[in-house]
Amino acid sequence: MASRNCLMRLKTFQLITTSFNPPNGIAFSRGFCASPPVFQTKWLQAVSHAEKVVGNPTFLNLESVTSHEISNMAVYLKNLIKTGHPLTSTVKELLNPKAKNDLTRGLLVLLVSKAGKHKANEDILPNQRKLAEITEQIHTAHIIHTGIINLATPNENLEMGNKMAILCGDFIQSRSSIQLAELKNIKIIELFGQAIADFSAVEFINEDTYCALDLWTQKTKMRYGTLLSNACQSTLILGGNMDLLESAKNFGLEIAFAWQANIDLQSYKSTTKKAEHNLAKLFPGTPFEEILLIFEAVRDKHINASLKILAKFPQNDACLALCDIAKALKY
Amino acid sequence: MVINVKLTNLLAYSSLVVRRVSHLGKHHGDFPYQLLLSKPTPLFHHKKQIQTVVPSTSTKNVTVPVENTPTADSLVRLDLEGLYEDIREGLSETQPELKLIAQYYFNGEGKAIRPVITMCMARAINFHLDQNTPYVLQKQKKIAQIAEMIHTASLVHDDVIDVADSRRSRPSVNIVWGQRKSIIAGDFILAMASKMLARLQNKQVIILLSQVLADLVQGEFMQLGARENKDERFAHYSEKTFKKTASLIAYSCQAVSVLSGADSTLQAVAFQYGRQIGMAFQLVDDLLDFIATSAQLGKPVAADLRLGLATAPVLFAAQKFSELNPLILRRFQEPGDAETAFRLVLRSDGLQRTKDLAHQYCNDAVTQIAQLTPSPYQQALVTLAHQLLHRMK
Repeated sequence: MASRNCLMRLKTFQLITTSFNPPNGIAFSRGFCASPPVFQTKWLQAVSHAEKVVGNPTFLNLESVTSHEISNMAVYLKNLIKTGHPLTSTVKELLNPKAKNDLTRGLLVLLVSKAGKHKANEDILPNQRKLAEITEQIHTAHIIHTGIINLATPNENLEMGNKMAILCGDFIQSRSSIQLAELKNIKIIELFGQAIADFSAVEFINEDTYCALDLWTQKTKMRYGTLLSNACQSTLILGGNMDLLESAKNFGLEIAFAWQANIDLQSYKSTTKKAEHNLAKLFPGTPFEEILLIFEAVRDKHINASLKILAKFPQNDACLALCDIAKALKY
Repeated sequence: MVINVKLTNLLAYSSLVVRRVSHLGKHHGDFPYQLLLSKPTPLFHHKKQIQTVVPSTSTKNVTVPVENTPTADSLVRLDLEGLYEDIREGLSETQPELKLIAQYYFNGEGKAIRPVITMCMARAINFHLDQNTPYVLQKQKKIAQIAEMIHTASLVHDDVIDVADSRRSRPSVNIVWGQRKSIIAGDFILAMASKMLARLQNKQVIILLSQVLADLVQGEFMQLGARENKDERFAHYSEKTFKKTASLIAYSCQAVSVLSGADSTLQAVAFQYGRQIGMAFQLVDDLLDFIATSAQLGKPVAADLRLGLATAPVLFAAQKFSELNPLILRRFQEPGDAETAFRLVLRSDGLQRTKDLAHQYCNDAVTQIAQLTPSPYQQALVTLAHQLLHRMK
């Protein structure tokens, strides 16, 4: 019954874009699969320009942690790498933050902060920069915790890897909680609490209760949408831009959908095991080209929605940078 | 920075304690009694969470110094009625499987020491300040809930880290649902606790309880120890004990006092009581691991040694028997190590010195709470300290 409905919806969807579904599993926002050269250039340009607009931020700079804590963390993270745990690559990035030419949540939050400024000479507040960092940290802690693997049989190395992952995730998370508390804004703390609750709960969704596209939408919304949407809202609360709150909230959600749709699309195109990919599993038996079309339509729908919302913001350089990023997702 | 200010405050408060016990420090040998944060020391290992109990009046072994004094437990029973139901309720609006896991350890089987102490302190402070607003008490009950949620979330993570197989006579979460889901469920519990905390609308309270989260994690890191030199071990053990056990109780006590309208002096009293009681609980726990029978403990004796942990009795014993030092360093991993250590601890004065230290902490807790206006609640907090010491007999 569900599959017939899904098929009908599929056809309807191709004509009238409605909601769509997130694929299963996690695609790291930093995961950069082999994508067409056009995409890479436009994307890199858009992101690197955007970084300049907000002052070339670096996130998760572990040097900012006190030396006592960093030495412990670094030791444990190095131990994790030695164990051969799947989280190794994530951890390596944490330990070696170089300027990466990739979009991050933190960057988006900074851009939204700046985009919300009505006057040209207003700069991003220190609190807003802090919030961008917190957003990035909370996302990272989540990635680390979801990288923990179930060990049915004892394996000392992987167990140690799991322990390190748990503790590092907890460490980053608790640091974020303290920093959030220091912002002394009740609403913001609630918003981030909700975001964490959502992306935790997504692991437990009963997938049978959702139709294919709805599943993708629901999962993407919970895993990525709430955090970005609530972070964008929060930063405008800090900036005092109450008139743009609703827009920020909606923009955060739409850009999260568009971004994730694009990530999933790129990885689907480049994977060699097409049938095992999340997108393929949503529509079993459907040919590759058709799935591509569906998700390209989904992605474009959300890009267009993002651009529409951005029109409501003051048309400053940050807003334009966001438009460029949204458009660059189209390739 | 806020955290550093708090550290300074804590050091100031604790200097009171250090002065009081420093004369005993000489009596007990070379250890500096750095009862609070010292410079960073290499890491130590102690896995166990507090499992000691506030005895209820029905336990026949308890002797209470004052006739017919109600216990903390009985006094706040009504306040805490429905605590676990409320917590479960707060965790219920989510995916069914997550709800199951999140609620798993909130079945009311735990002893709820933290909520009992928190509520009793709340009542005692309210009495002292003549604070009778129902609204304040409601918020203080929420603190008790939040404290229990934070504690339980840390138990969930600890069970995964320690590869535990049972807790409270049931399979532990990681056994039932696997490591990954358990960790994420723990994160969920904390997220819901932080939402509840935000709704209390008190920024200072939010900051206090967020500090607990950082302390719990740091305490856990301290457990995964690197090697340290033996002169620093005890200070390290104390710091770890504060972070893992006493911190939550101390900050919860301070938080309820803040809600009642306490000034910083009174907040310090509440904090110190919570802190000293928390430290004492852990010491009693560590002691009982050596002397209680397995029937009393509900688990094999000397579990700490088997886990590679050198707790207070062992650290004291190592002063008399330096042959314990290599065993401590290798975490009693060689065959016969745990048995040797056990024997040496019993032969040494390690147990007595642990008892004495627990006494000191309890005495200080009592001294702190004596500063409050006498009330049944204040008295119950005194009784609680005495009952704790009685467990060591």
